[in-house]
Amino acid sequence: MNEVLKAVGNIFLKMPKGFVVTFKHLFKKPITLDYPRKKNPMTARYRGKHYLERYDDGTERCVCCGLCAAACPADAIYMEPEENEKGERRAKMYEINLLRCIFCGFCEEACPEEAIFLGQVYEFSEDNRNSFIVGKDDMLVPHPRKDNPLKRIYRRVRRVYGVTDKSK
Amino acid sequence: MAEATKKDMPTETAENMVTLTINGRETTVPKGTTVLQAAKELGVHIPTFCWHPKLKPVGACRMCYVEVEKMPKLQVSCALEVMDGMVVHTDSDTVKQGRKAIIEFILLNHPLDCPTCDKGGECDLQNLTFAHGVDDSRFEFQKYRFVDEGMTTTFDDRRIGPEIILNRNRCILCYKCVRANKEAFGEYDLGVYERGSIAEINAAPGEQVDNPFSGNLVEICPVGALTNSDWRYKIRVWLTSTTPSICNYTSSGINTLFFKENHHNKIYRVTSRPSDDIDDGWLPDVTRYGYQIVNSPDRLTTPLVKKEGKQVEATWEEALEIIGKRFGEIKERLGGVCVGALVSPGLDNASLHAASRLMRVGFKSNNIDFRGDYRYLPESSESPFMRLCSRPFKIADIDDSDVIVTFGSDLIREHANEYLRIRKAFNFGNARIFAVNPYQTKSADVSSLELVYLPGTEESVVNGICLAAIEDNLVDAKRGEKFKLKTPTKSSAEAAKVSGVDRESLRTVAEALAEGKKITFFTGEIITRSRQRDLIASALINLHRLFGLKGRAQMSALARYANSKGAEKLGLLPNPRTVVVDKLRGLWGEYPESPARNTDAMMALIKKEEIKGFLILGSNPVMLYPDREFVKEGIEKLDFLVVADLFETETTELADVVLPLASWAEYEGYYVNLEGRTQKAARAVKPIGQAKPGYEIASLIGEALDPEMFQNEQQIHSEVRQLLELDSVIAYPDDFLEVKADTDGSQGDYNLPLYIIDDWHHSGHLTEKAPSLANFASEPYIEIPPQLASELKIAHGDSVRVESEVGKVILPARISEHTQNNVVLVPRNFSSSNVTSLLMRKKRVDRVKISKVDE
Repeated sequence: MNEVLKAVGNIFLKMPKGFVVTFKHLFKKPITLDYPRKKNPMTARYRGKHYLERYDDGTERCVCCGLCAAACPADAIYMEPEENEKGERRAKMYEINLLRCIFCGFCEEACPEEAIFLGQVYEFSEDNRNSFIVGKDDMLVPHPRKDNPLKRIYRRVRRVYGVTDKSK
Repeated sequence: MAEATKKDMPTETAENMVTLTINGRETTVPKGTTVLQAAKELGVHIPTFCWHPKLKPVGACRMCYVEVEKMPKLQVSCALEVMDGMVVHTDSDTVKQGRKAIIEFILLNHPLDCPTCDKGGECDLQNLTFAHGVDDSRFEFQKYRFVDEGMTTTFDDRRIGPEIILNRNRCILCYKCVRANKEAFGEYDLGVYERGSIAEINAAPGEQVDNPFSGNLVEICPVGALTNSDWRYKIRVWLTSTTPSICNYTSSGINTLFFKENHHNKIYRVTSRPSDDIDDGWLPDVTRYGYQIVNSPDRLTTPLVKKEGKQVEATWEEALEIIGKRFGEIKERLGGVCVGALVSPGLDNASLHAASRLMRVGFKSNNIDFRGDYRYLPESSESPFMRLCSRPFKIADIDDSDVIVTFGSDLIREHANEYLRIRKAFNFGNARIFAVNPYQTKSADVSSLELVYLPGTEESVVNGICLAAIEDNLVDAKRGEKFKLKTPTKSSAEAAKVSGVDRESLRTVAEALAEGKKITFFTGEIITRSRQRDLIASALINLHRLFGLKGRAQMSALARYANSKGAEKLGLLPNPRTVVVDKLRGLWGEYPESPARNTDAMMALIKKEEIKGFLILGSNPVMLYPDREFVKEGIEKLDFLVVADLFETETTELADVVLPLASWAEYEGYYVNLEGRTQKAARAVKPIGQAKPGYEIASLIGEALDPEMFQNEQQIHSEVRQLLELDSVIAYPDDFLEVKADTDGSQGDYNLPLYIIDDWHHSGHLTEKAPSLANFASEPYIEIPPQLASELKIAHGDSVRVESEVGKVILPARISEHTQNNVVLVPRNFSSSNVTSLLMRKKRVDRVKISKVDE
């Protein structure tokens, strides 16, 4: 009898006590994220996927000097130089193997032309290894820099309302 | 510099030695040494920019500051001669401060564009700034910039030659390039213009830097002011590794270094590997850029087999099966003597020996030769010319010779390295130099006297020199009497008249030869290519005997190709010397007794259809043999022709089986240079496609004929070593030789002598495939002396019809800068020129007539 009373007491006295924590959290802001609809903002110094800068007039900053590749501890960078129409040096080929890369940021530090930076992008998922080798075209920032604002809004609306992007 | 002072230096006697102290260590060096050299000998490193071991010092950069006690200021060690009791400090605080200041000063206007500079990573200025410089500049003003009108780039790169790119902003004005150009190469196409802070290095007004040694200027530049398009924006130097090798285009065996990258299996450039005995660290352009054929996309990569009149790709197994079957048939049906072989003297020892073994053991035939581009070759290996060829010769001995005679040789075109040696002797020594040629050459600018004889009168010149010596009692009269018995020419005046050289000049040479204590006398290609080479050689041997040159002269006929000397020593001739034959018999247990035929004889027999099968390794007789029709008709009649080469050539077109040959950079090979020195060319890259080295091809063909014939590399090398140990010098005969004058008959209208030459930047038939060399010259041309051109109203670039008794070609004209007398020159290096179709193998001097093509 005593034991029955004890069990009933547990249900009505101890369980609510335990649920207090649960109910408290019901009204708290969740610490998880609605990924991939929402993304965690990265700190300004986060070292994500690399991007290659341009000058204001659109010329690539990278001159393919090879110092990033020399500094790279993972040997993830490969490049081949060529001569452009003006007779200047630029990269014919600039590849980073993101699977090898350890995102140490040495390339960014070594760069004498302030051409390579580690950006905020951290989402890497592909179904084959070759796709992790990113080339110059993937990394160069677009020129002109800013997107069309209307396009950006359109993309956002589609993202929020879950319309699948057929163009991709 | 080292050489320069050593020359003037007195012998090392006690009173000529100076004792000084460097960094507290005492050392004794000969008088006239500079402090820099003395320190170098002690192992003390002093940084420099403008100092070069082979040039005179100028003290332009002032990087080599040292502190000398009792001298008030820092001293420039590269230009400071040692004095007795000198106390030198190279590492004191004052010196360090001085160096820092100099680096800061040099960097005032230096653009610091290292990321885009091709020199980055191997730049002296980078290294020395890192070692001795400061990390900041106090210069607050705008750096001085050279800006060209209409320039579109941020750098100031301008092309000053077909290959060379100049960036004046990077230049630190060490003058090394200008000095080397002037002192070492005798070229004046580069100079310093303006004064003070705006002084600039530039090409001479209206000129291009296109001399045959221009590549060296890029190599010695301490910064990236001079770069070349060969290495421009290709690869960073720290990504490459080096392989020591030697030059395959010149016979000196110039030491080179390949810069290669293993992942790409590609060579990126060639630089020098200085060796004082051979090349002094200078490379001719053909050596520097000629490597590009190794990377060429046109290379043959698979065997080709002729099926129904068309060459189609095949595997090695198929090709070898066909070769084995067809050669086997010919051998069985007609005997091995119906097979011949022609090999290239550019192949390594092992390949040559393997080919020789294939012919002599596999086919039991003596039909093998390596001289595919000479006519009327000497039959016997002990003919006067072969004796002359076999004489020892030392390149380094040119330096301290007091009389140098170059006979029948346009040096820069065929022995560029020896030309630089002679120039050194001319500049730094007190040598009397004589250039004896049938036409005026650029190479003769270092000679004290240039003798130009009429084409085809070589033996009269030599006899003239001898007779002038006898007449003026410069030599032993008794020997003179004996000499006179053997020569048809009676007096030097007569010889002078025949040869067109004035008697005074002949006498001057005779005098020099009689007085000279150390004489270098050599003959070049004009003699070697002459049909009468034996006659000329006899005359020269007589001269040697008459003047008693034994012991005080080196007299030789220089080999032309990378391994010509090796081929001679290994018995690649149809009739090798008895010692070689005995050795080969000992090695193989057999030696064929069949008749031996040289190139001409083989070609004649092919035409008579007595030789049915033929193997050609790396040679291109259709293009290079001096009678194109003769060779081509013959080769077309062959039953079976196998050709191995790097590229598709005129000869491979006619072949039944074409095999891809590996180049000298693709396998380890040993080559014998013109001194008889064996040198190794290491393997730099893997053979392209399915290409195989010559020895492997020869061994595989042997195996296809008879499985027991196969030899591996070690076996071949051990046989080669034993053969090279044999003494190759053939003694001169004991008496004067008969010299009968010989001339061609009259050739009617055709009276203009034609000489086939190598272009300044080319050698043999392969270099036109190298893009950098093609930048210098890619089209055939005919070089016409100016007064003849004006007579015929031919301007530079006009089409000229060149006709001989047998052929006719049309070539663009080029007005010669150096040749004044009546000869025309045509380079043989361009396959589109067809120049050999003008030649007849029986002629001593080829004569043509030229006329302008009216458009």
